[in-house]
Amino acid sequence: MASELINAMAISAHGMKAQGSRIRVITENVANVDTTGDVPGADPYRRQQIMFKNVLDREMGAKMVEVDRIMEDRKTPFRLEYRPENPAADENGYVKMANVNSLLEMADMREAQRTYEANIGMMEQSRTMMLRTIDLLRV
Amino acid sequence: MTTDNLALFKALGAKMDYLNQNQRVISQNVSNADTPGYKAHELQKADFSDVLKRVTKTNQIHVERTVEGHMTPGGDIENPREKKSRHVYDVKPSMNAVDMEEQLVKAQGNIMDYNMMTNLYQKNISMIRMSLGQGQ
Repeated sequence: MASELINAMAISAHGMKAQGSRIRVITENVANVDTTGDVPGADPYRRQQIMFKNVLDREMGAKMVEVDRIMEDRKTPFRLEYRPENPAADENGYVKMANVNSLLEMADMREAQRTYEANIGMMEQSRTMMLRTIDLLRV
Repeated sequence: MTTDNLALFKALGAKMDYLNQNQRVISQNVSNADTPGYKAHELQKADFSDVLKRVTKTNQIHVERTVEGHMTPGGDIENPREKKSRHVYDVKPSMNAVDMEEQLVKAQGNIMDYNMMTNLYQKNISMIRMSLGQGQ
């Protein structure tokens, strides 16, 4: 009977792990916002995207969330900045900058944080329910 | 005699079992809140008033199972089935249909019900104890 609650906690833990990976990817993007190439006209850092999928865990009979894949964002174009002194500058003095939008990354980070907190909340509730069951022994 | 034989405890246990399963389903929904294409699941509600009526008001003699291999006597409480929710608050552009507020409200209701069940259980146990002359 209590194993369902343990399953619930395992599912929440999976959710937290997935959001943790998401935060790692976002951090990577933010950290590399100024990473350019090193030869003229070279491509700079490409923004990474994370995809989730749900996987049926047959033992638990539950759909766990897992990281599907982390892929590069090839749709957003690079920004061009005029920086003639940069080694990656082309003949006109323009440098391709990473296609990272800090504002977008921050919003994404907040969303990941909220979902992480929601998972913690669910875990705490499952824990409370389990403790209540254990309390029955103390009648 | 174990408390399992008492109809009321059986019903309480079944409800707690249901609430446990419900908690698992809600956890699953919350953890998949950002998975594209995932739709919230819910447990079909079991009608406990009906179950309670069935286990408390019948004066039938129950068939005792002494060996695991025996067939289960009728009148057992069946497991609720899990299915996708029909009515969802909204669907995100990624085709994900989990509403966090809805899920958390459900989780809160779940835990309140669970507390009620454990309280009822405790009250009944202390009632039995009192009748045995060991009351507090």
